[in-house]
Amino acid sequence: MLDQFILGLSVVMQPNVLIYAFFGVFLGQLIGVLPGVGAITAISLLLPVTFYLDATTSMILLAGIYYGSQYGGSIASILLNLPGTPSSVVTCLEGYPLAQSNRAGLALFVAAFSSFLGGMVGVAVLVLAAIPMTVIALKFGAPEYAMLVIIGLLAASMIGTGSQIRSLAMVVLGIALGLVGADATTGYYRFVAMPELADGISLVSLAMGLFGVSEVIRHASRRPMRGAAPLSVSMRDVIPTRAQAKSLVFPIVRGSSIGSFFGALPGTGAAIASFMAYAIEKRFSRKPEKFGTGHLPGLAAPESANNAASQTGFIPTLTLGVPGDAVMALIIGALILNGIIPGPRLMVDQPELFWGVIASFFVGNIILLLINIPLIKLWVLLLRIPYQKLYPMILLMICVGVYSHRTSVTDVLLTLAFGILGYLMKNYRFEPAPVLLGFVLGPLLEDNFRRTMLLYGGDFTIFVTRPISAVLFVCSVILIVWALWSCLSLRRKVARTSP
Amino acid sequence: MANIEDHGGQSKAARAVSGGVLLAAGLVISFFAWGYPTGSLNQMGPGFFPQTIGILISLLAVTILIVDLRHPALERPSAIQWRGLCFVSVGIIIFALLVERAGLVPSMFLAVGVSMFADDQAKPLTVLIYAITAAALGWLLFLVGLELPIPAFWRL
Repeated sequence: MLDQFILGLSVVMQPNVLIYAFFGVFLGQLIGVLPGVGAITAISLLLPVTFYLDATTSMILLAGIYYGSQYGGSIASILLNLPGTPSSVVTCLEGYPLAQSNRAGLALFVAAFSSFLGGMVGVAVLVLAAIPMTVIALKFGAPEYAMLVIIGLLAASMIGTGSQIRSLAMVVLGIALGLVGADATTGYYRFVAMPELADGISLVSLAMGLFGVSEVIRHASRRPMRGAAPLSVSMRDVIPTRAQAKSLVFPIVRGSSIGSFFGALPGTGAAIASFMAYAIEKRFSRKPEKFGTGHLPGLAAPESANNAASQTGFIPTLTLGVPGDAVMALIIGALILNGIIPGPRLMVDQPELFWGVIASFFVGNIILLLINIPLIKLWVLLLRIPYQKLYPMILLMICVGVYSHRTSVTDVLLTLAFGILGYLMKNYRFEPAPVLLGFVLGPLLEDNFRRTMLLYGGDFTIFVTRPISAVLFVCSVILIVWALWSCLSLRRKVARTSP
Repeated sequence: MANIEDHGGQSKAARAVSGGVLLAAGLVISFFAWGYPTGSLNQMGPGFFPQTIGILISLLAVTILIVDLRHPALERPSAIQWRGLCFVSVGIIIFALLVERAGLVPSMFLAVGVSMFADDQAKPLTVLIYAITAAALGWLLFLVGLELPIPAFWRL
């Protein structure tokens, strides 16, 4: 295992790879700082760029944006009380009071350092889990894969924010969009309304429309949603005292463990992990009354949790080829577009890629720690850029990126259509992320389901008679029952509280 | 507006929008999928999966319809920002129509210029300067830097 990790390090340490690792985490941090631009938007924007890179550097770049944004997200939370990413919402609770009492420097330092430690724990768990997970996954056949994809899709719609039934509908809609084009098995054209669609809908169009164009429409005409950023941050007393540091050890350990666990599960991710870490820290604290007033353990625990989770989120993505959320789906999509089939064979067939990407997380976290505090003046400056000055550039990147991908005007117009769809969907409380997940996982589901039926003569019981598949089947049933139960109990609560 | 309906202040028609549109989509998908060969369970044709998906969307849509209609306090959908929607759309459409006719630089200039009016406080002079800068930067990045095979100007 150590040998493989060193192999990975030797890949990352090549200057032409290292530069992309640096570029990725730098861009991620920058994106995380800017409120209104999330990691998923940034990764969508950079998808076309990855066609000019090889698979390893594309993965390192896109992954860096993702976990880098977790670092950046806490800066806007602490200084402005505006979370840059969903997972830094809880960071506001303790971070902003600290900034208000003139201890912003301390808050930023603690956030950065807990993020770093959490990220490192996440990488360690990823390294330890990678080989055993791959060994198990290599035993998977078509029925197991079909079940695994179903669990991924169910978990994404049952656990995320918003109504479960609506998210499930969006997952299925995403699968439907993924059906457009030639059928992989027979070559039969399905839903090809115009000849340009024969190759299917491009992931680039869908992602840029749902997460780029729709956000631009939403925020373009809205006046700044943020207050003025402070011109300077007091950097006095940046380093915590010995007593303060000591009080942070266990919160960081707990936060990292919670984060590592929830990050690896499908459906749950950095945001849920940070909420859990904060809630648990508050529940078990001897001084719960201090939470909300700038209590350092309440800042350190969720910060380490979301960064650990953003690393262990790569466990299912890299070892099984089944993404746990929409960001991972995009990264998998980029891999597929680069001609690489994700799955357990990845580690066996492409060890340089597999371990190179993992080692890049290790290097990336160190870079992030090093650029976080010294560049704080730059981040504060970025916070002052209004969205109105930013979105025309985003739109430009979208237009040129989509067009250059397949030199197709139809793709540009489709992106606009998906943008409007994504905008209207969200107004009617439909989340766009499950659509993307369904789109990426749909073909995988159809392929494995059809292959199962072919191999086992159309016998549905095969899903419960094979042991691993049976376990996965039980898990998905539990998920559905749990979702139905929580949905019903919520309805009862609403019915009771409303007259 | 609040006294039109007792619950949530929305008419029945307004509550049925999300489920209704989704149901229409499900039915359209099913309609087209029914023309594809279904095959059998152990030898599925290209139509089997799309048909299942079409039915599934329709069923989920009906469920959403029922839930929304019976929900005691349905959240009102946010108002549509027509200004943003129109100017951003027109900007992208202009880009799509012009990029192969007029070249990359003019279409970038117009796409940025038009879409900037989505911001209701946009001033023409600022927009002009910004759009020229954006087109110049875009030319540097995409054509000089990344060497994308797109003509900069028509015939050039």
